[in-house]
Amino acid sequence: MRAKRLWLVVTFPSTTAAMAMESYCRQHEVPGRLIPVPTSISAGCGMCWRAPIEERERIGNAITEAALTGTLLYEVWI
Amino acid sequence: MNEFVIDVRGEQCPIPVIKTRKALEEHKDCRAFVVLTGDENAAQNVQRMAKNRGYAAEIAAGSNGSYSVHITAKDGAQPEAPLQHSELACTVSAASAGAVVAIGSEVMGTGNYELGHLLMKSFIYALSQQENLPSAMLFYNGGAHLTCEGSPALEDLRQLEEQGTEVLTCGTCLDFYGLKDKLAVGQISNMYVIAEKMLQASHVIRP
Repeated sequence: MRAKRLWLVVTFPSTTAAMAMESYCRQHEVPGRLIPVPTSISAGCGMCWRAPIEERERIGNAITEAALTGTLLYEVWI
Repeated sequence: MNEFVIDVRGEQCPIPVIKTRKALEEHKDCRAFVVLTGDENAAQNVQRMAKNRGYAAEIAAGSNGSYSVHITAKDGAQPEAPLQHSELACTVSAASAGAVVAIGSEVMGTGNYELGHLLMKSFIYALSQQENLPSAMLFYNGGAHLTCEGSPALEDLRQLEEQGTEVLTCGTCLDFYGLKDKLAVGQISNMYVIAEKMLQASHVIRP
């Protein structure tokens, strides 16, 4: 069985915002990836950015520099 | 947090489900339970029953073939809900029944290409997170790109392969797209094997 670990998870108000985050992070080599929003956060459908927990500062900067609003940050065992 | 222990080791299906449900109802004041079992299917059935009643439930595998299901009460949990026939059925896991996932495109669904690409990545990730994994994944035509260098799904496909899912890509398709030297996960296969895997599968899933 997979071993779970603690991740930083960023949710977005729309799928296009999530895709914009992916595009920005790829371009600027910010670590992480898009995954479906874990059901422990929301039962709804959507994508979120999952990154190593220690990258909180870089992720926060990326959100600001990509001008993304309405994001929420979580720490989740996945 | 103290956990109320429900030991159902050695009990045959559906007894673990029945005993766990009874304990949840009789110990409503308790917030955390752990069910001990030596059977993976029993652990999955107990987990499903608990989740159906509004509890959080996670399975942990022990080193000696034992399983523990950690059940946590959430607001609104309903331990008294009667057991359904489907919960008492002694189901065999999808992995052992041989579900096969057939992927014939880089994208999931029709419509916007970029969204379809995102959805396919998302599907393969979600698949890798399941308790019951498919016995095989078959990649053909445009789907062959997903098992090759540069694919965003490689990390998840490697994880699936490590956990026992066979990852097979159509050799004709790799050749057609000029990808024969780029295969990065799984094995090259042919149409006989693809047809055989589909025929032998308990069910074939096409995302």
